[in-house]
Amino acid sequence: MFRPIKGAVRRRVSRREFLQRGGALVAGLGAGGLIVGGGSTIVSTRVQAQSSDDAKWKQFSGSKLVFMSENTPPSFAIRDNLKAFYDLTGIDVEILTDDLPVVQQKVGIDLRGGSADFQLNYVQDKPIGAPFAEFYADMSKFIGDDSLPQDKDGYGAEAWFDNFLDACGYYYTRDRLVALPYDAAVACTFYRQDLFEKMTKDFEADYGYRLEFTKETTWKQVNDIAKFFKMMHEKDNSIPYGYAQHQGSFAWTTQLDIQRMLFAHGRWTDFNVDDKLGSRTPGKTNWGDPQSVLIMEKFKEQADNSHPDNLANGTLQLNTVYQAGQIAMQVQYHEFAASVEDPKTSAAAGGKTAYAPCPRGEPSWIVNGGEAVNGTNCGIGGIGINANASEDLQKAAWIFASWAVSTNNQFSVLKGLGGTPTRKSVLAIPEVGAARERPTAMPNALTFDAVYDYGILDPNFVLGPKIPKSNEYHQILASEVQKCLAGETSPEEACKAIQTQLDELNEA
Amino acid sequence: MLQTLTTDFRTPRAAPSALNTAPSQRYYVYLLAPAILLLAAISLYPFFWLIYMSLHQVSMSPNQPDVWVGLANYAKLLSDKRYLEGWRLLVVYSVSCMILQVGLGLLLALVLNNSRWEKPLVTVFLMPMMMAPVIAGLVWFYLYNGTFGWYNWVLQSLGILSGTSILGSTSTAMIGIVVVDTWQWTPLITLIVLAGLKRVPQDQLEAHMVDGAGAVRNFFAIVLPNLYPFLLIAVLLRFMDNFRFIDAILRLTGGGPANSTKVLPVYLFEVSFTNFNLGYGAAIAFTLLVVTIVIGMVLVSAFTQPSLQQKH
Repeated sequence: MFRPIKGAVRRRVSRREFLQRGGALVAGLGAGGLIVGGGSTIVSTRVQAQSSDDAKWKQFSGSKLVFMSENTPPSFAIRDNLKAFYDLTGIDVEILTDDLPVVQQKVGIDLRGGSADFQLNYVQDKPIGAPFAEFYADMSKFIGDDSLPQDKDGYGAEAWFDNFLDACGYYYTRDRLVALPYDAAVACTFYRQDLFEKMTKDFEADYGYRLEFTKETTWKQVNDIAKFFKMMHEKDNSIPYGYAQHQGSFAWTTQLDIQRMLFAHGRWTDFNVDDKLGSRTPGKTNWGDPQSVLIMEKFKEQADNSHPDNLANGTLQLNTVYQAGQIAMQVQYHEFAASVEDPKTSAAAGGKTAYAPCPRGEPSWIVNGGEAVNGTNCGIGGIGINANASEDLQKAAWIFASWAVSTNNQFSVLKGLGGTPTRKSVLAIPEVGAARERPTAMPNALTFDAVYDYGILDPNFVLGPKIPKSNEYHQILASEVQKCLAGETSPEEACKAIQTQLDELNEA
Repeated sequence: MLQTLTTDFRTPRAAPSALNTAPSQRYYVYLLAPAILLLAAISLYPFFWLIYMSLHQVSMSPNQPDVWVGLANYAKLLSDKRYLEGWRLLVVYSVSCMILQVGLGLLLALVLNNSRWEKPLVTVFLMPMMMAPVIAGLVWFYLYNGTFGWYNWVLQSLGILSGTSILGSTSTAMIGIVVVDTWQWTPLITLIVLAGLKRVPQDQLEAHMVDGAGAVRNFFAIVLPNLYPFLLIAVLLRFMDNFRFIDAILRLTGGGPANSTKVLPVYLFEVSFTNFNLGYGAAIAFTLLVVTIVIGMVLVSAFTQPSLQQKH
């Protein structure tokens, strides 16, 4: 098939020559690889305050940045829309996405190792922000810098939904702004309205009140509902279980699961510190007190009446269980509404699901005093800039961060893959206002009443401890809570074990 | 002719005086230097760095120096329940995997050896081994899934599992990860044993059969003793692998539920790369390394025992 061309001059390559050429090729490839794989590049053109907006946007044209992010809708949507940013600025941005624990490990090594392979990071408040806060650039120095483009809606606390800037922006001090709110996962209740209506008579006969869910529904009632559905399921397995928890493998989600129930009862928190700012020295924990023991008992009772795969279901798996129609209710993060409302993948789509705030505390379960609230927790993902990066790289990164959290961008993500806005101005867009009612092209907007108008507001909002050793804290909590739910320890033993380990962790 | 050749070999002609001179010791040092330097760079330096880290509270920040803590990290190990539990789980995990894999691997090799379908079946059986462990973990994670996992459905339909999936219970999660490891690595044992079976001396087998021995007796008297060195290699490799490979476990359970699959290497990973407590992580890693070396030495020394040498 492949014949030598007639008359062609063929030259034999000697072994020495072959090795020389091979060596040169390998060296060339290695050097090329270093250049290509080197990550960022920076090219800058000086601009003045008086320069045009276009010049300010384009001052780092030709540069390259790397953004390490969680695999959430905003990052996917922004990645799809990077051409718009490139056209605006001439900056090439590579967005790498992975599961949160992997992102946490990668950015942790980068930040703490003094490198800046990822100039931009997804700063999830507690797993990434709390342990690595000091390694991020102070973004406040870019705000008001008239040589840099600025968002017309500003960057102050009032520009974002309540508590969001505190959640992901500030750690232990308000002197440094670590990140801008990029996306949000706020807990609310998803429930099967169709099943509730269908079964309310039976439920009322047993429990003496209607089977419905409102913002007044308490955790005690959730336990009743779980118990009722379990009983019905045992009679007829076409009826789903009532409830399921997030007790799967990722420690942080496990901690969040019990935290909202604890906070609902007298606004209980792990430590007596400013919950929104966090503390490097949180002191002794409140775990082991009568309130925590009582709620652990109720939490265990709830687990016993929930879907049996409780200890395997992480947040994503739990949502799959709900989509499959195997449970009638879940407390879930509002970003999942888009998947629940997708008729191709969800048995709970098509108007069957309704959304409400997280359950309220049961007054008779409050033993420490304080009020019953609809304890609502969240993960607010920020976008932060690696402080190890050069000053120019940091400025280029700021331009991207500012663009990524702009109103227009958040609106397009919401319309596209189902984003979770962090700017108040997004809700002021008439199209978004209309989308809060069915039929809607933006399913996440169906949760906005429960989330933005109620859950995230004080006194319902709980952030959870921002402490430098937050990852260790999550692991301790997840291990002990899971042991209790598995029946290996009693609720009291679990709470005491958490207390001992946390006090040791924080040297309190 | 043969006599002549032998004689020539035994009485070589005198070599030229330059070649006759024994090389100096420096000559050997020069020869070995590149290999030693390479070994030092990739192995000895990290080893001593590991020891250094285990004696310090390590700061990854270039601006903060490491703090000398002496043996404090090691002392902490003794009171760390998760560390001690990690050892227990690692022993359970490794021994279970070993027993299953050696048993099944041996059985498969015996069935396949010299069979008509040996080559195609060996190729098929080797497929799991070709898969990256993290991919294997992901595949089995979905197969075990309580909502849509096929294996979960089968096990529930057979009444083996109740409503809880295999990875969702503290009593079955360990079984789940052992099965995945067995699925992936039994082919390696099969392959090694098959190689061993090819070297079992046929004359011994035939002589034994002439003496009236049956297949079972032949197996225990001739085949198994000849396989010992091969089995030892397999056990050594897999034991060390089980002390290192945690990709599938991280993907399947992350060490949960309730730490029931948090074998020591998973705990080590968590301490070092989630909590970034590198000094303490190094202390854990050092103890793990020491135990691995000791087990390795015990197994290697078994090779040298005359009773276990291959009989030819």
